[in-house]
Amino acid sequence: MTYIMLLLLMGMIMGLVFVASNPSPYFGALGLVAVASVGCGILVNYGGSFLSLVLFLIYLGGMLVVFAYSAALAADPFPEGLGNWFVKLLVVVYMMGITSFSFLFSGKWHEFSWVPVDEISEFSVFRGDVGGVALMYSFGGIFLIIGAWVLLLALFVVLELTRGFNSGAFRAI
Amino acid sequence: MTPVHFAFSSAFMLSLSGLAFYRTHLLSAFLCLEGMMLSLFIAISLWALQLDTTGFLTSPVLLLAFSACEASAGLALLVATARTHGTDRLQNLNLFQC
Repeated sequence: MTYIMLLLLMGMIMGLVFVASNPSPYFGALGLVAVASVGCGILVNYGGSFLSLVLFLIYLGGMLVVFAYSAALAADPFPEGLGNWFVKLLVVVYMMGITSFSFLFSGKWHEFSWVPVDEISEFSVFRGDVGGVALMYSFGGIFLIIGAWVLLLALFVVLELTRGFNSGAFRAI
Repeated sequence: MTPVHFAFSSAFMLSLSGLAFYRTHLLSAFLCLEGMMLSLFIAISLWALQLDTTGFLTSPVLLLAFSACEASAGLALLVATARTHGTDRLQNLNLFQC
């Protein structure tokens, strides 16, 4: 399990190196999908199976569909992947930065402590995070109302941003 | 610094530097913002999972709701930019001052 966790953490860093090194939005969205999947794996290894499910549904089910639509809107005839020299240069620069960061801050790699929640090492559905998230409906009721209000406000922000004849989503042909 | 701390803090720093330094498309900047929110989500949920304080596990879900709001506002800005400027390249935003 320790090696799987190390592999997942390195995968998260590599995926974000690729996202940060300015590829085209198609490949950037693909890298973000990979990072979100790896993050789901990290959460599962910590025992947060419900949080992992929520992250999977939100990122890969909802958000990335919208990003695919927007990548189709901002179409690029010559997408730049890892084959482009500038992307390669930025990948090398970010990898050097991460390596120096690891030399600075990760002097104590023996501090491994993978403690899953409820201290069950097997995969199971009813873990502590299910009850923890369910507390949102009892003690966190006020914050739940604030969250619903923020979502409603975001709806009106989107409607106001894409309103009108010049900047609207609909185009008069 | 444990490997998990190193991983999510370097993920946050990578996304922040990718947002700050050089972007061709506006959509890539939003992808970097999403990466920042993803690393924050993983950090805040691993904090509660490692310490077995399951009462704090509501906060990553609410953070995810807020990040969905941020993504929707960003995509609305992207649609508006593509309508007014024709493309979402950031050079055009400097070119036409409007």
